[in-house]
Parts: sequence; structure tokens; C-alpha cells
Amino acid sequence: MSACEIRRDEWIAFLGRELDADRDKALLGHLDSCRSCRDEVEALRVLFGEADALGEETRAVLASVDWEALPSRIAARLPEQDRPTPRPAARLRALVWSPRLRPAWAGLLAGIILGGAAVFFALRKPSGRGATADFFASADFLDRVELELTRRQTLDYLDKSQYLILDVLETPAGGGRAGSSALASREARDLITRKKYLNPQLDRFRMAKAKDLCDQIELLVFELTQLSPEVSAAEVGRIQAMVRDWQLLMKIRLVKKELEQSEV
Amino acid sequence: MEHRDGRTVGVDREISALMARVKEGDKDAFQDITRQYQRKVFVLAYAFFRDREEALDIVQETFLRLYEKAALFREGEDFQGWLFRIARNLCIDSYRRARHRRADHVADARIEALPAEGADCEDAERRSDLRALFRAVLDRLADKQRTVFVMKHYNEMPYQEIARTLGIAVGTVKSLHFKAVRNLRKHLEPHMGMMS
Repeated sequence: MSACEIRRDEWIAFLGRELDADRDKALLGHLDSCRSCRDEVEALRVLFGEADALGEETRAVLASVDWEALPSRIAARLPEQDRPTPRPAARLRALVWSPRLRPAWAGLLAGIILGGAAVFFALRKPSGRGATADFFASADFLDRVELELTRRQTLDYLDKSQYLILDVLETPAGGGRAGSSALASREARDLITRKKYLNPQLDRFRMAKAKDLCDQIELLVFELTQLSPEVSAAEVGRIQAMVRDWQLLMKIRLVKKELEQSEV
Repeated sequence: MEHRDGRTVGVDREISALMARVKEGDKDAFQDITRQYQRKVFVLAYAFFRDREEALDIVQETFLRLYEKAALFREGEDFQGWLFRIARNLCIDSYRRARHRRADHVADARIEALPAEGADCEDAERRSDLRALFRAVLDRLADKQRTVFVMKHYNEMPYQEIARTLGIAVGTVKSLHFKAVRNLRKHLEPHMGMMS
């Protein structure tokens, strides 16, 4: 073993003439003054000499082989027919189905099956709603829809009532046929029918103010439908007084305004 | 000719063209390639086995394997490295099979049987024994160390080419070579007097 700072692998490189000129010269100079390194280099030189000697032996064996004949001898061992070149698709297939990739494919297949099952269960329709349900809507959503419909139907009812009341107020005090045509009109009967369907909705959504107003209008309309065709001036005056006393037109405007502002 | 990493682009092109023909099943191209590389493969195999016939078997098997696997060779790939990897793997497989057949203590026995330094024997006989000892120790090196040592000293390949052939870093090749030399010295040191 060399006792100085120069490593053995550097001496190997030195003997292999792998160092640059400066380093080579420095090591050569070092050898003059360092006995242990001289011994080291000498030992390596002998070692490599033995390797070279085996190399010479190899070269002697090399010379004994008939290299000209060998290629044709090997070629004679090839399959008789020209081997068809594997097509790219066949090579790709062989690569894809190689045993090394089988665990990966098995994992992928398992992942697809588990993922498919998870998606199936996640997206399956709730069994409680029946197989024929086309869609699902929450109860809260349905309530909001119904409230909005009630609001619109009430507004419509008040609009039509407003026109009818204006018609009543414009009826001449003498009454007669003009008044009776308005009072017994189809609109009055229509309003009674509408009110019948509106009542439960107004109760359900606790629209008390609108409900009270609609009840008063209903009463007025009912009175109108009870009038005889040849209505007297007194009866017209009584009906008009009812409208004014109850302040129906003002109430209708206020409630309409509230309903319009409370759009769902 | 244009040079690249110690090899010629012209040789690469020629080999690529020949390999393309081998892929098509062209036996003439196959023989051309065999003719160009058979000696190099033989030297590698002979260093492993130091047996002419066994090395020739490896040469034949290597080129038959080349023909089988020609479709897997990619154009532009380092052909010599690819071929040497086939040869080296065949050597290692064959070497391991042979080693199982032999008694492991043979090499040791041969080392022990060597005459000690200064023994009174003829110089020629001592040299012959020493060569046998060197072979025995080389034979017992780890596969990679032996491969690197053989490629370096018998095939006279530079470190870079060995690295490319074995698919490892140049630094690793140098390290393996150093370890091979160190182990050879360690076993041969008691008999170094015979070598000088």
C-alpha cells in the first residue's frame, strides 16, 4: 500500500496514460523521490503485465479461429425461411401484453370496475321516489313555486276586481240597463269562481291582508250578482256606498303594490 | 469521416442499414454484421471462460440472439453496446451455470497449491503457475468487476465506451476497475515476488 498522499487509482490512470501531461510529469517526478509509490507502480505494472500476457494468449487463440467461415456457419443455424419481420402492431401487442405489464393492467381493470361501481351507486335514483320519476325537486322548491303562483293569481284577481269596481262606480245613479249589464256581467261570475280556488292558497301561505281584501271583494261581487236586471237607483247607490265605505280601490292598490314587491 | 464520441457516424449509418436488412430477414446482411463484430464478442467471451470452444459457442449464441431480437433494435441506438449487452448476459448466464457445476473451492485450492515466494523452482514453471493464479483470481472477481477489467485490458475499450456498453456512468466504470485491480492485488500480493 502506498504510504503517501497519491491515490492508487491515480497510479492506475498514470499507467494507462490517461492523465494530462502536467499531472503525468508531476507523478513521474514524484516517483524519483518516493520509494513506496515506486513499489506501488511496479506492482501494478506487473499486474497489468499479467493481464497483457493473457491478452497475448487471447490473441493467439483468436488467430486459430477460422473467422471467414464462422459467419456462414452461424447463418446456417438460422431458420430456413426468412423470418417475417414482426409488424409494428404485433410488436406493440407483444409489448403491451408482456408479463411485466400484467400487474399494471390488472390494477387498471380493477380500478375501472371499482370506479364504475362507485359512479353507479352515486348517480342511482333514490329508490323512495319510484322508478318512473323523471326528475327530483325538493319540497322547499315546490313550496316556493306554489307561493309564486298564488301571488300571481291574487294579483290577477285584484286587477279584474279593480276594473269591475270602477265599472260599478261609473254606473249612473239612475241605474237602468247600463248598470245591470255591468253588474250581472260574466266577469263577476268569473271572479267568484277564481276566489273559490284562491281561498285555500291564501290560507296556506298566511297572506291575511290579501285574504281579508279578497273576502270583501267577494262579498261585493256576490251582492252584485244578486241584483235584479232592472236595478233601482237606490240599489246602485247602496252598492257604490259599500265600495266607498270599505275603501276597496285604495286597499286594492296597496295590496297589489305589496304583492308586486314581494316577488319570489 | 465525421467523429462522434469516439465512434464514426459512417459506421453507425452502415450498421443501421445492415440491421434494417436483418429485420427483413436478409442473411447476407446478418453475415456482414457477424463478420464485423465476431472477434470483439469472442475476446469478451474468452476473457470470461478462457476456453476457445466455450467462447465460440457464446459468439454463435450472441449472433443468433441478435437475429431473433433484431426487431427490437432502434435506429440510432449504440449498436456495439446493444450487442455487447447480449453477449455479456449470455456469458454471465453460462458462467453461472458452469460455476455451479464446478466445485467452488477449486480456485482456492489452486491458490493454496502455489509455491510460496522464493521457493526453489524453475522460472518458467513459476510463471506458468502465476498465470494460473492470475486466472483463478480473475475468475473469482464479481461479475461487473471482471467484465470491466476484461473490456479495459483485453478488448482495449476506453472507459466511456465501457460505460455506454454496460449502461452505467463513467465514474462507476472507473470505480469497478479500481476495485478489480485492488482485489487482484490483494490476492496476488503474497506471490508478487514471482511476478517480477
